[in-house]
Amino acid sequence: MRPILLQGHERSLTQIKYNREGDLLFSVSKDHVVNAWFSHNGERLGTYEGHIGAVWTVDVNSSSTLLISGSADNTAKLWDVSNGKCLKSWEFNTAVRCVQFSEDDKLVLLVTEPRMGFPATLQIFNVENVSSEPVHNFNPEGPKITVAAWGALNRYIVAGRENGSVALIDPKTGECVSTNKVHELTLTDLQMSSDRTYFVTASKDKSAKILETESLEVLKTYTTDTPLNSAAIMPKHQEFVVVGGGQEAMDVTTTSSRQGKFECRFWHKILEEEVGRVRGHFGPINTIAIHPDGRSFASGGEDGYVRVHHFDDDFFTFKFQI
Amino acid sequence: MAVSATNWADEVDGEDQPQTFTDANGITTTIEYRTNEDGKKVKVTRRTQKKLIHDVVNKAVAARKKWPKFGKEKGNRPGPDPATTNVGDNIKLKLSSTGDVVQDVDEKHEAMKAQLQNKKILCRICKGDHFTTKCPYKDSLGMEDAAAAPAAAAEEAAPEEQQSGSKYIAPHMRAGASGTKGGDRDSIREKRDEQPTLRVTNLSEDVTEADVSELFKRFGHISRVFLARDRETNACKGFAFVSFTMREDAQRALEAIDGRGYDNLILRVEWAR
Repeated sequence: MRPILLQGHERSLTQIKYNREGDLLFSVSKDHVVNAWFSHNGERLGTYEGHIGAVWTVDVNSSSTLLISGSADNTAKLWDVSNGKCLKSWEFNTAVRCVQFSEDDKLVLLVTEPRMGFPATLQIFNVENVSSEPVHNFNPEGPKITVAAWGALNRYIVAGRENGSVALIDPKTGECVSTNKVHELTLTDLQMSSDRTYFVTASKDKSAKILETESLEVLKTYTTDTPLNSAAIMPKHQEFVVVGGGQEAMDVTTTSSRQGKFECRFWHKILEEEVGRVRGHFGPINTIAIHPDGRSFASGGEDGYVRVHHFDDDFFTFKFQI
Repeated sequence: MAVSATNWADEVDGEDQPQTFTDANGITTTIEYRTNEDGKKVKVTRRTQKKLIHDVVNKAVAARKKWPKFGKEKGNRPGPDPATTNVGDNIKLKLSSTGDVVQDVDEKHEAMKAQLQNKKILCRICKGDHFTTKCPYKDSLGMEDAAAAPAAAAEEAAPEEQQSGSKYIAPHMRAGASGTKGGDRDSIREKRDEQPTLRVTNLSEDVTEADVSELFKRFGHISRVFLARDRETNACKGFAFVSFTMREDAQRALEAIDGRGYDNLILRVEWAR
């Protein structure tokens, strides 16, 4: 397959997300830019201008009308997807690390970092009647939350922490209902399955795990040889999980760094075996997103490139031989 | 009479007409002739195949395709912009059940390594199996070792005194001495220019000739150091030429200093042209 290289960022990518139909791909980076692309040919639709700090996170609602982005300039902004206008800007005391629309698009969860005396917050905003005040503002205790996602039917919020544990938080009370220490080092990514009953976590401890949402039980583990920055579940066609990461510090031999050796690894989700790798990035892979129809995926790296890959036909006919 | 750029003999050929034809598979071939920058006639053949793909998409998806561009893309034409979008090289995603996924280590690298397996590379600094310049202990062990290291050169042609580099060597006895004939002034000067000279680049601004000769003299006797200086400010321009007496000394100096850090910059050493 020939990957399409999207060169819209000058610094490393922090997150990429597809919209529900998969025709749009949003990418955000440390260079303050939010880009929107057409995923089938890599054509850029436009940019959302306004952030003055690194943009850490982005999410789009199911109707592709609203886009939310969280940034290190202590704001989260709500944008109109079609024309790039900023509809609302929320100010906080610290940087916003994670944002996500709920399944029904009515609520948005937002995680801010603890810094300079300000505690971490987990806030929930209503986007139907956009107001400056959050519906809920929780100060979760414990190690810093690095990633968070809505569970099914908004029953829970799943949060991944810096110490490698995953917590289930009740969105109405902010109370941590249950915790499970599944990783040794910080969680770098948490992506839900299409029905949100299970999710995949990626961690710097070189492993990725599948956990069931309601019980936080570890269902599968994938151990690699490199710290992972992102993991995603293939929604269709193949029972795969795609993970990616990379070592920041280079070892003595200089050949590895130059030649695009950072790889997206494909693992069989059920059998916990690695089945393939896609190389090409020139720096660690920071974020992976899979198209909702399962026919393509995209990866964003430390090198500032987003690579969109459309699978060849033989990808879909592959059967794992036990 | 005006002199035309093209040779009269080349003009008026039967094949010069641009053609377009389509063959059975629907491939359109366009042949045209151009003159490129070097003045040469170039035949450009373009084979294109147009395939119209009908795709049934969601109404919303089709509507989004029609959105005008905004932000940095405002006013741009429809279609991908080569400044932001490119197609990369073909990558094969080989899916395998056997778990031998780590394929395809760079072949050139492997071939090099295999070639060198037999030759047994030994780092002079730490005796590891890598080149001296790639040694991870270059800075710590490299300093003491460079001073004590014997000449690694294969040729033992030059006698002992010359290799230690501390004794003075008369011009007619140095490497590149032309022998009994041609002993006059000019040839000696010429010989000096033909002496093994290294070009050191990426020097910092406040490096002096003394620093450079300090750095290099441990490899052998230096016949000349030339440091490029800026005319007005007299600061170092970043490069210098070091002429050694013995070629082997220059070779060893090159291997040891190339890539070595000096005053916060990584030096580059090459043979001077």
